[in-house]
Amino acid sequence: MVKLDEKIDEAIKEIFTSDRPWITIVWDDPVNLMSYVTYVLMELFGFTREKAYELMMKVHTEGKAVVSSGSREEMEHDVARLHEFGLWATLQREDQSA
Amino acid sequence: MSQAPEARQTGFRRHGDNAFIADFSESESEVLVNLVEQIIELLAERKDSHSNDPLAVMVGITSHDSPPDDDVLLRLLPNAYADQVDASEFRRYTEATLRAKKTAHAMSMRIDLKSASDGYVEVDNEGANAWLGAMNDIRLALGVRLNVEDVSHEELEILAPDDPLRGVYAVYSWLGWLQESLIMALMDQAL
Repeated sequence: MVKLDEKIDEAIKEIFTSDRPWITIVWDDPVNLMSYVTYVLMELFGFTREKAYELMMKVHTEGKAVVSSGSREEMEHDVARLHEFGLWATLQREDQSA
Repeated sequence: MSQAPEARQTGFRRHGDNAFIADFSESESEVLVNLVEQIIELLAERKDSHSNDPLAVMVGITSHDSPPDDDVLLRLLPNAYADQVDASEFRRYTEATLRAKKTAHAMSMRIDLKSASDGYVEVDNEGANAWLGAMNDIRLALGVRLNVEDVSHEELEILAPDDPLRGVYAVYSWLGWLQESLIMALMDQAL
Protein backbone atom coordinates (compact mmCIF):
# COMPACT_ATOMS: atom_id res chain seq x y z
CA MET A 1 0.00 0.00 0.00
CA VAL A 2 1.39 3.35 -1.01
CA LYS A 3 1.46 5.98 1.69
CA LEU A 4 0.91 9.59 0.84
CA ASP A 5 3.28 11.91 2.58
CA GLU A 6 3.10 15.67 2.18
CA LYS A 7 5.64 15.80 -0.64
CA ILE A 8 3.92 13.19 -2.78
CA ASP A 9 0.60 14.79 -2.05
CA GLU A 10 2.01 18.09 -3.28
CA ALA A 11 3.47 16.49 -6.42
CA ILE A 12 0.17 14.82 -7.26
CA LYS A 13 -1.67 18.07 -6.76
CA GLU A 14 0.80 19.68 -9.14
CA ILE A 15 0.01 17.11 -11.87
CA PHE A 16 -3.70 17.77 -11.66
CA THR A 17 -3.39 21.50 -11.47
CA SER A 18 -0.67 22.13 -14.03
CA ASP A 19 -3.13 23.27 -16.68
CA ARG A 20 -4.22 26.18 -14.60
CA PRO A 21 -2.43 29.30 -15.74
CA TRP A 22 -0.04 31.45 -13.81
CA ILE A 23 -0.37 35.20 -13.64
CA THR A 24 1.95 38.17 -13.27
CA ILE A 25 0.78 40.88 -10.88
CA VAL A 26 2.11 44.44 -10.74
CA TRP A 27 1.72 46.10 -7.33
CA ASP A 28 1.30 49.78 -6.52
CA ASP A 29 4.41 51.60 -5.44
CA PRO A 30 4.69 55.18 -4.15
CA VAL A 31 7.87 55.93 -6.13
CA ASN A 32 7.21 54.78 -9.68
CA LEU A 33 5.75 57.51 -11.88
CA MET A 34 2.36 56.83 -13.48
CA SER A 35 3.83 57.74 -16.88
CA TYR A 36 6.79 55.40 -16.29
CA VAL A 37 4.61 52.42 -15.39
CA THR A 38 2.52 53.06 -18.52
CA TYR A 39 5.66 53.30 -20.68
CA VAL A 40 7.23 50.12 -19.25
CA LEU A 41 4.02 48.13 -19.84
CA MET A 42 3.96 49.36 -23.46
CA GLU A 43 7.62 48.50 -23.99
CA LEU A 44 7.67 45.06 -22.35
CA PHE A 45 4.28 43.72 -23.39
CA GLY A 46 3.60 45.65 -26.59
CA PHE A 47 0.35 47.04 -25.16
CA THR A 48 -1.25 50.04 -26.83
CA ARG A 49 -0.97 53.27 -24.91
CA GLU A 50 -4.65 53.01 -23.95
CA LYS A 51 -4.33 49.43 -22.66
CA ALA A 52 -1.15 50.22 -20.73
CA TYR A 53 -2.76 53.34 -19.24
CA GLU A 54 -5.82 51.34 -18.19
CA LEU A 55 -3.68 48.71 -16.43
CA MET A 56 -1.55 51.40 -14.77
CA MET A 57 -4.71 53.10 -13.46
CA LYS A 58 -5.93 49.75 -12.09
CA VAL A 59 -2.64 49.34 -10.21
CA HIS A 60 -2.88 52.92 -8.99
CA THR A 61 -6.49 52.77 -7.79
CA GLU A 62 -6.87 49.11 -6.75
CA GLY A 63 -3.32 48.48 -5.55
CA LYS A 64 -2.53 45.81 -8.12
CA ALA A 65 -3.34 44.47 -11.59
CA VAL A 66 -2.77 41.28 -13.55
CA VAL A 67 -0.63 42.21 -16.56
CA SER A 68 -0.04 38.78 -18.13
CA SER A 69 -0.94 35.11 -17.81
CA GLY A 70 0.46 31.86 -19.16
CA SER A 71 2.91 29.14 -18.15
CA ARG A 72 5.00 29.45 -15.03
CA GLU A 73 8.17 29.87 -17.11
CA GLU A 74 6.62 32.68 -19.14
CA MET A 75 5.48 34.48 -16.02
CA GLU A 76 8.92 34.14 -14.42
CA HIS A 77 10.34 35.75 -17.53
CA ASP A 78 7.81 38.61 -17.34
CA VAL A 79 8.49 39.21 -13.64
CA ALA A 80 12.25 39.28 -14.24
CA ARG A 81 11.83 41.91 -16.97
CA LEU A 82 9.52 44.01 -14.78
CA HIS A 83 12.07 43.83 -11.95
CA GLU A 84 14.79 44.93 -14.37
CA PHE A 85 12.84 48.18 -14.83
CA GLY A 86 12.01 48.55 -11.15
CA LEU A 87 8.32 47.67 -11.18
CA TRP A 88 7.15 45.69 -8.17
CA ALA A 89 5.87 42.40 -9.61
CA THR A 90 5.16 38.85 -8.44
CA LEU A 91 3.78 35.71 -10.03
CA GLN A 92 1.33 33.14 -8.71
CA ARG A 93 -1.33 30.68 -9.80
CA GLU A 94 -4.42 32.32 -11.19
CA ASP A 95 -6.77 31.14 -8.45
CA GLN A 96 -4.37 31.63 -5.57
CA SER A 97 -5.34 34.48 -3.29
CA ALA A 98 -2.73 37.23 -3.20
CA MET B 1 2.47 55.68 -7.76
CA SER B 2 3.19 59.34 -8.03
CA GLN B 3 3.04 62.15 -10.52
CA ALA B 4 6.10 64.06 -11.59
CA PRO B 5 6.48 67.62 -10.33
CA GLU B 6 5.90 70.36 -12.88
CA ALA B 7 8.63 71.14 -15.35
CA ARG B 8 11.06 73.88 -14.48
CA GLN B 9 13.57 73.49 -17.28
CA THR B 10 13.62 71.57 -20.52
CA GLY B 11 15.00 68.16 -19.46
CA PHE B 12 15.14 65.57 -22.22
CA ARG B 13 13.62 66.30 -25.59
CA ARG B 14 13.33 64.40 -28.83
CA HIS B 15 15.87 65.12 -31.51
CA GLY B 16 15.00 63.42 -34.80
CA ASP B 17 13.78 59.85 -35.18
CA ASN B 18 15.95 57.99 -32.72
CA ALA B 19 17.71 60.51 -30.52
CA PHE B 20 16.95 62.22 -27.23
CA ILE B 21 18.99 65.10 -25.93
CA ALA B 22 19.49 66.97 -22.69
CA ASP B 23 21.77 69.75 -21.49
CA PHE B 24 23.00 69.41 -17.94
CA SER B 25 24.79 72.03 -15.91
CA GLU B 26 28.07 71.00 -14.34
CA SER B 27 26.48 70.58 -10.93
CA GLU B 28 23.57 68.56 -12.35
CA SER B 29 26.02 66.21 -14.10
CA GLU B 30 27.99 65.85 -10.89
CA VAL B 31 24.88 64.95 -8.91
CA LEU B 32 23.77 62.39 -11.52
CA VAL B 33 27.23 60.77 -11.78
CA ASN B 34 27.50 60.62 -8.00
CA LEU B 35 24.08 58.96 -7.63
CA VAL B 36 24.53 56.46 -10.44
CA GLU B 37 27.94 55.45 -9.09
CA GLN B 38 26.35 54.80 -5.70
CA ILE B 39 23.86 52.45 -7.34
CA ILE B 40 26.71 50.62 -9.09
CA GLU B 41 28.59 50.28 -5.80
CA LEU B 42 25.52 49.16 -3.90
CA LEU B 43 24.77 46.41 -6.43
CA ALA B 44 28.43 45.33 -6.38
CA GLU B 45 28.34 45.02 -2.60
CA ARG B 46 26.07 42.03 -2.95
CA LYS B 47 28.87 39.77 -4.12
CA ASP B 48 28.58 36.09 -4.79
CA SER B 49 30.61 34.05 -2.39
CA HIS B 50 30.50 31.12 -4.82
CA SER B 51 31.76 33.11 -7.77
CA ASN B 52 34.87 30.91 -7.91
CA ASP B 53 32.69 28.04 -9.12
CA PRO B 54 32.98 28.46 -12.90
CA LEU B 55 29.89 26.41 -13.69
CA ALA B 56 27.72 28.41 -11.31
CA VAL B 57 29.07 31.62 -12.80
CA MET B 58 28.48 30.39 -16.34
CA VAL B 59 24.82 29.58 -15.81
CA GLY B 60 24.24 32.63 -13.63
CA ILE B 61 23.52 30.84 -10.36
CA THR B 62 24.21 32.98 -7.32
CA SER B 63 24.92 31.95 -3.79
CA HIS B 64 22.07 34.15 -2.66
CA ASP B 65 18.77 32.52 -1.98
CA SER B 66 17.65 34.82 0.81
CA PRO B 67 16.51 38.39 0.21
CA PRO B 68 18.95 41.25 0.96
CA ASP B 69 18.87 42.62 4.53
CA ASP B 70 19.31 46.16 3.27
CA ASP B 71 15.95 47.80 2.49
CA VAL B 72 17.26 49.58 -0.59
CA LEU B 73 18.76 46.41 -2.09
CA LEU B 74 15.55 44.55 -1.27
CA ARG B 75 13.55 47.12 -3.24
CA LEU B 76 15.96 46.86 -6.19
CA LEU B 77 16.03 43.05 -6.02
CA PRO B 78 12.54 42.12 -4.79
CA ASN B 79 11.02 38.71 -4.21
CA ALA B 80 9.20 37.27 -7.22
CA TYR B 81 6.90 35.06 -5.15
CA ALA B 82 4.94 35.61 -1.95
CA ASP B 83 5.94 32.06 -1.00
CA GLN B 84 9.40 32.11 0.62
CA VAL B 85 10.55 28.76 -0.77
CA ASP B 86 9.60 29.68 -4.34
CA ALA B 87 11.08 33.16 -3.87
CA SER B 88 14.42 31.71 -2.71
CA GLU B 89 14.59 29.26 -5.59
CA PHE B 90 13.84 31.99 -8.13
CA ARG B 91 16.37 34.36 -6.54
CA ARG B 92 19.09 31.72 -6.62
CA TYR B 93 18.78 31.34 -10.39
CA THR B 94 17.98 34.89 -11.45
CA GLU B 95 19.38 37.47 -9.03
CA ALA B 96 22.85 37.63 -10.60
CA THR B 97 21.29 38.37 -14.01
CA LEU B 98 19.03 41.05 -12.54
CA ARG B 99 21.99 42.69 -10.82
CA ALA B 100 24.00 42.57 -14.05
CA LYS B 101 21.16 44.21 -16.01
CA LYS B 102 20.67 46.97 -13.46
CA THR B 103 24.43 47.55 -13.34
CA ALA B 104 24.51 47.74 -17.15
CA HIS B 105 21.77 50.42 -17.13
CA ALA B 106 23.70 52.42 -14.53
CA MET B 107 27.02 52.04 -16.37
CA SER B 108 25.42 53.17 -19.61
CA MET B 109 24.06 56.30 -17.90
CA ARG B 110 27.42 56.94 -16.23
CA ILE B 111 29.36 56.67 -19.51
CA ASP B 112 26.89 59.00 -21.28
CA LEU B 113 27.42 61.61 -18.56
CA LYS B 114 31.19 61.16 -18.37
CA SER B 115 31.65 61.42 -22.11
CA ALA B 116 29.29 64.38 -22.56
CA SER B 117 30.94 67.61 -23.63
CA ASP B 118 29.57 70.67 -21.83
CA GLY B 119 26.86 68.51 -20.29
CA TYR B 120 25.26 67.73 -23.67
CA VAL B 121 23.88 64.19 -23.52
CA GLU B 122 22.46 62.41 -26.56
CA VAL B 123 20.99 58.90 -26.38
CA ASP B 124 19.16 56.60 -28.79
CA ASN B 125 16.07 54.59 -27.88
CA GLU B 126 18.06 51.81 -26.23
CA GLY B 127 20.19 54.30 -24.33
CA ALA B 128 17.04 56.12 -23.23
CA ASN B 129 15.62 52.90 -21.77
CA ALA B 130 18.87 52.33 -19.86
CA TRP B 131 18.61 55.88 -18.47
CA LEU B 132 14.98 55.30 -17.46
CA GLY B 133 15.88 52.08 -15.65
CA ALA B 134 18.86 53.64 -13.90
CA MET B 135 17.05 56.86 -12.93
CA ASN B 136 14.20 54.74 -11.61
CA ASP B 137 16.58 52.62 -9.51
CA ILE B 138 18.09 55.81 -8.06
CA ARG B 139 14.58 57.11 -7.25
CA LEU B 140 13.61 53.76 -5.68
CA ALA B 141 16.74 53.91 -3.51
CA LEU B 142 16.11 57.53 -2.47
CA GLY B 143 12.44 56.71 -1.92
CA VAL B 144 13.33 54.00 0.60
CA ARG B 145 15.61 56.41 2.48
CA LEU B 146 12.91 59.12 2.41
CA ASN B 147 10.39 56.55 3.57
CA VAL B 148 7.90 57.66 0.90
CA GLU B 149 5.89 54.54 1.72
CA ASP B 150 4.70 56.14 4.96
CA VAL B 151 5.44 59.82 4.59
CA SER B 152 3.30 61.93 2.25
CA HIS B 153 4.75 64.23 -0.41
CA GLU B 154 3.11 67.12 1.43
CA GLU B 155 5.07 66.26 4.57
CA LEU B 156 8.30 65.97 2.58
CA GLU B 157 7.65 69.38 0.99
CA ILE B 158 7.74 71.09 4.38
CA LEU B 159 10.88 69.52 5.86
CA ALA B 160 12.95 71.98 7.92
CA PRO B 161 15.71 73.78 5.98
CA ASP B 162 18.41 72.12 8.10
CA ASP B 163 16.96 68.63 7.68
CA PRO B 164 19.39 66.64 5.50
CA LEU B 165 16.44 64.80 3.98
CA ARG B 166 15.23 68.11 2.53
CA GLY B 167 18.13 68.05 0.04
CA VAL B 168 17.52 64.38 -0.70
CA TYR B 169 13.88 65.13 -1.42
CA ALA B 170 14.86 67.98 -3.75
CA VAL B 171 17.10 65.61 -5.74
CA TYR B 172 14.39 62.92 -5.72
CA SER B 173 11.82 65.40 -7.10
CA TRP B 174 14.21 66.72 -9.73
CA LEU B 175 14.99 63.17 -10.89
CA GLY B 176 11.27 62.43 -11.17
CA TRP B 177 10.85 65.47 -13.35
CA LEU B 178 13.88 64.51 -15.50
CA GLN B 179 12.59 60.95 -15.87
CA GLU B 180 9.16 62.27 -16.87
CA SER B 181 10.69 64.51 -19.55
CA LEU B 182 12.41 61.50 -21.15
CA ILE B 183 9.23 59.39 -20.98
CA MET B 184 7.24 62.18 -22.66
CA ALA B 185 9.86 62.45 -25.41
CA LEU B 186 9.78 58.68 -25.94
CA MET B 187 5.97 58.44 -25.93
CA ASP B 188 5.79 61.30 -28.36
CA GLN B 189 7.83 59.20 -30.75
CA ALA B 190 5.77 56.09 -30.07
CA LEU B 191 2.54 57.74 -31.23
